[in-house]
Amino acid sequence: MNNSIVSNASEVSASGINASDITRILFENFHPNAVHLFYVIGYIAIAVFLYGTYVQIRKYHRGQADGSWGELLHRFFDMVKTMATHRTLVRRDKSAGRAHGLIFLGFVLLFVGTSIITLEYDILQPLFGLKFWYGHFYLWFSLVLDLAGLGLIVGLIYMMYRRKWLKLPKLDYKRVDRQAGDADFDRSQYRREDWAFLWSFILIAITGFILEATRLVWLSGRPVVWDYRMWSPVGALLAHLMQAIGFSADGAGTFRTGLWWFHGVLSLTFIAFIPYSKIKHIFTAAASLMFKDPLAGRRLPRVPDDQKTAGYKSITDLTWKNLLHLDACTKCGRCQEACPANAVGAPLSPRDVILSLREFANHALSAKELPKEAELDIHGKGVGQVFMETLWSCRTCLACVEICPVAVEHVPIIVQMRRNLVEAGEMEPLLEKTLQTIHKTGNSFGESKRKRASWTKELAFEIKDARKEAVDMLWFVGDYASFDPRNQKVTQGFARLMHKAGIDFGLLFEGELNAGNDVRRVGEEGLYEFLATSNIQSLDDCDFKSIVTTDPHSYNTIRNEYPDFGGTYEIQHYSTVVKKLIEDGRLPLAKKLNYKVTFHDPCHLGRFNKGYDAPRDILKMLGCELVEMGRNKDNSFCCGAGGGRIWIPDPVGSEKPSQNRMKEAAVIEGLQVFVVSCPKDLTMFEDALKTSGYEGQFIVRELIELIDECMEYVAPEKEVVEEILISQVVIQDVVVTESISLT
Amino acid sequence: MKILVAVKQVAALDEDFEIRADGKDVEEDFLLYDLNEWDDFSLEEAMKIKESSDAEVEVIVVSVGPDRVDESLRKCLAKGADRAIRVWDEAIQGSDAIAIGQILAAVAKKEAPDMVFAGVQSSDQSYASTGIATAAYLNWPHAAVVADLQYQPGANKAIIRRELEGGMLQEVEINCPAVLTIQLGINKPRYASLRGIKQAAAKPIEEVSLADIGLSAGNVGADSSMSRVRRMYIPAKGRAQMIEGTLAEQAAKIIQIINEFKGA
Ligand code: SF4
Ligand code: SF4
Repeated sequence: MNNSIVSNASEVSASGINASDITRILFENFHPNAVHLFYVIGYIAIAVFLYGTYVQIRKYHRGQADGSWGELLHRFFDMVKTMATHRTLVRRDKSAGRAHGLIFLGFVLLFVGTSIITLEYDILQPLFGLKFWYGHFYLWFSLVLDLAGLGLIVGLIYMMYRRKWLKLPKLDYKRVDRQAGDADFDRSQYRREDWAFLWSFILIAITGFILEATRLVWLSGRPVVWDYRMWSPVGALLAHLMQAIGFSADGAGTFRTGLWWFHGVLSLTFIAFIPYSKIKHIFTAAASLMFKDPLAGRRLPRVPDDQKTAGYKSITDLTWKNLLHLDACTKCGRCQEACPANAVGAPLSPRDVILSLREFANHALSAKELPKEAELDIHGKGVGQVFMETLWSCRTCLACVEICPVAVEHVPIIVQMRRNLVEAGEMEPLLEKTLQTIHKTGNSFGESKRKRASWTKELAFEIKDARKEAVDMLWFVGDYASFDPRNQKVTQGFARLMHKAGIDFGLLFEGELNAGNDVRRVGEEGLYEFLATSNIQSLDDCDFKSIVTTDPHSYNTIRNEYPDFGGTYEIQHYSTVVKKLIEDGRLPLAKKLNYKVTFHDPCHLGRFNKGYDAPRDILKMLGCELVEMGRNKDNSFCCGAGGGRIWIPDPVGSEKPSQNRMKEAAVIEGLQVFVVSCPKDLTMFEDALKTSGYEGQFIVRELIELIDECMEYVAPEKEVVEEILISQVVIQDVVVTESISLT
Repeated sequence: MKILVAVKQVAALDEDFEIRADGKDVEEDFLLYDLNEWDDFSLEEAMKIKESSDAEVEVIVVSVGPDRVDESLRKCLAKGADRAIRVWDEAIQGSDAIAIGQILAAVAKKEAPDMVFAGVQSSDQSYASTGIATAAYLNWPHAAVVADLQYQPGANKAIIRRELEGGMLQEVEINCPAVLTIQLGINKPRYASLRGIKQAAAKPIEEVSLADIGLSAGNVGADSSMSRVRRMYIPAKGRAQMIEGTLAEQAAKIIQIINEFKGA
C-alpha cells in the first residue's frame, strides 16, 4: 500500500550521495497509529471495491450463456492493441479521442507506478528484503510519472471544457424516446455524475502535484531530495512557487500532512467507487472490446430449437455478454449521432436503448434475490423498458455498432427484442401482411413464384437454368431486382454485361426465394430459417463454382449467415466481379463518361462487408469524377430501407432518411449523378429525389446502368413488347338438381 | 367448456393459371392454398373467449379436407387452438357446402361443444352456407354475419350484432349452444409466427374418418350433393389497348377507332 496515486521524485547520485538514498519518503514522520489508520482505510476501500465487483459479476452471471470464450489470447491482444492505439476513440472525434488518450495514459502510468511502489514496500521488501525503487530507476520513474500526471490534467481540463463550453447535443443526454414528465425522462443525474468524476479525478491529480511540491519545500534541506528535484519538473516548479510566496520548510511540512490525508482518502474513495460509477468502464469497456464479435449484426444469433420463447422478453434473456456491453457504454453519444433513425426524429437513440436496459439490469439484477418473472419484462412503457416504437424504428444499418468505441453491439439486442415482438404479433399491420406474403409466395411482392424470372423474357439471349445444367457462376437475383419494374431494367443490364463478358452463368428461376436478410432483421426468425434452408437446399442441388448477386442484402445473409445453416458458398457482389472483368479487358469500355458523380455506400455492402473500393474503382475506370459526400464509407447514411423498414410506412410529415441523404448530395456543386449499387437504394432514392425537390438537379442511377452506358453491344436487342394484363375472371357453372329441404 | 371452430383451407389462383382438362376446376398446379381469411377471425374470436375466461375453455378447430389441410390446421394450433380435427375420405371429394355442413354437424355431435364458429364464407367457393347447413343438421340456433359477440363461457344466451345492408347492425339475443358465422373485422387476428407453426407440429391433429362420426360414403361426395359443378371457364373478355404517342397522334387514333366502330 502506498500513499498516493500521483507520485514524484528527485535526483541522481553525485558527490558522496549513496544511490540507495535517492528515493521518496513514505510515511516519514507518521505516527505508527496514523499509518495503521491509513491501512485500515485502504482495506475498507478494497473491500468496498471487491464487493461492488462481486455484485457486477453476479449480475452478468444471471444472463444467458454466450460462446464468445474462444481464442482468448487473440482477443486479449486485439483488445490491448485497440486500447493502446485508441483507434476507436479518435475516429470521428479527434480532440475527444486524444484527450481521452492523455487521461488513459496518465491513469495507466500512475497506476503502474503506484503498483511498483506497493510491490516493493508491501511485498518484496518485507518478505525478501528486495529493494529497487531508488537511484536511476527512481529518477526516471519520477520523470515519467510527473509527465503522466500533467497529461492527465490536460486531458481532464479538455473534457471539462468540452462539457461546459462546446454544448454538444450528445452530451446533454436528452432522450428522444421519452416525453418530459415520464419517470425516466430526466437524465441530469448523468451530467452530475460526469462532473463528479471529472472533478474528483482532477483534484486527485492536482493535490498529488501540490503534495510533491510541499515535500520538496519541506525537505529542501536534504541534498538527496532537493538536488534532484528537476526529475519531477512540475513538482519542482510548484515548489519554487511555494517558496516564492513565502512557504518555509516547516510550514510546508505541516501543510503537507493535511493535504496528504485529503489526497490519500480521496484516492481510496475513488478506487472504492469504481464498480458503482462510470469509472467502471475502465474494466467493462476493456472486457467489452475483448469479447467483441467481429460479425455482430452481420450474422445474427440463432434461436435454439428447444428455446421456449423467441428473442428477448426478460432482462434475464440477455446473455452475459449483452449485459457486459450495457455496462461498457460510456454514454459518448457517437452511436446516436450516426443513427439515421435518430437523425430524422424517430423515437430511437441506440444509446438510450443501451442505457435503459442498463438501468433496468442494475435495478433488477443487482439484488440478492431475483425479482419475480413479471418484473423482468423489458418491453413496455415503464421505467427502463424499451418501447415497441423504438425497436421498430431501427434500420439495422449498423452505424451504431460500427462507431461505438467500446464495441457495444446494439443491433443483436434490438433484433432479439424484435423477435419477441414478432412472436407476440406486435408489429405494423403492413409488416405482418408482408411476412405472411413472403411465407406464401416466397417473395415480398406477393407475386407468383412463376414470375420471378419473367424479366429474362425481354433479353436477346437465353439465361441458363442452373437447376438443370452446371454453370460457373450462379446469379442470386433477389426480390427487388427480380420483381420491381424499375430494377428489372438494371437486372437486364447486368445480364447483358455478364453475357457480353462471356461468363457462364445461370439462375435458380422459380427455385429462388427471398434470401431472408431483412426478414431476419425484422425478427421473424422462423420464416428466416424457412427461407434460408429452402434456398440452401436449392443451391446445394445445383452445380456451380461461385455465386454473384446484385443485391447487397442477399449478399450479406448468404455470405455471413447461411454458413450457420450449412450453406457455405463463395459469393461476390457484382461490383467486384465487374471490376475484374473490366480490368481483364473482358468488358471493353467503348466510351468514357465525364459525369460528376457521388457514390452512396449501401449499408450491406459497405459497413457490413467492407466493399467500399470496387464501386469507386469502377466509377474511376468509367471516367467519372467522384466527389464524396460528407458521410461516406463506414459512416455512410442508411437510405432508411434496412431492417424491414422498407415494409413499414414512415410517418407522414417527418423527413425520411433518404430525403436527408438527398439534401447532403445536393450540396455538391455540379453533381450530375447520384450513384447507388443496391436495388433498394435505387427505389428509395429515386423516390426521395422527387419528394425532396431536387428533381432536375441531378439523377439517381445504378452503377450497372453507367457501366451499361459504356458498352457497345453488337447483337440487336429483342424488341420490347408492352403487355397489358387484364385481370381474369373465372365463372363456375353450377347446376342445382334438387330443392333443398333441411330439418 | 368447448368451442368448435370450423375452418377451411382455400385455394387462390396463381398467375397465368390453366383450367383442368375436364373443365370443372383449375389445374391443381396453379392453386395456392392458405387458411380462409374469415376463419382467422372466427378462430381469434374463440381465442379471445378462451383467454379472457377464468374457466377452462377448450378451442378445437375442425376442417374437412386432404393431407395438405394439416398445414392450415397447424397454423390454427400455432395461434393457440388446443386441438385440431381433420375429416377426410376420398368419397368426400366433390361434396357441396351442404354435404360439408353435414360432416361438420356430425363432428359437433361427437364433440358436444358449447358454441360452433365458422367463417361467413370461403374466399374460393363463396357459398356462404356451410356454417348455416351445419346449424340446420344440428338443429341449433344460428346467426350469420356476426360482427360483434358478447358471450360468457357456459352461459345459455349470447348477445350478438349482425351486419345488415347499408351499414345497419341488428342486435340479437341467441340461445346457446348456437352456430355463428363470423364476419371479417370483428377482431384483430393474431400473427402466427413461423416458429409458432413449427412448434405446433408437436400438437396432435386427429384424423377422423366418416365411420368415426357415424357417416358413410353414401352421405357425401358429388353424387349425394344437391348441387354439382358442370364447368368452370374464363368468359371472353373485353380488349383494352394503350394509345400512345403525342397528344395529336392519340386524338387521331381515337377518331380512327370511333370511325371503325361506326363502320365508316
Ligand atoms: S442500426 Fe442504425 S438505425 Fe438501428 S440503432 Fe443503430 S444506427 Fe440507429
Ligand atoms: S453505445 Fe458506444 S457509441 Fe453509443 S454512447 Fe455508448 S459508448 Fe458511445
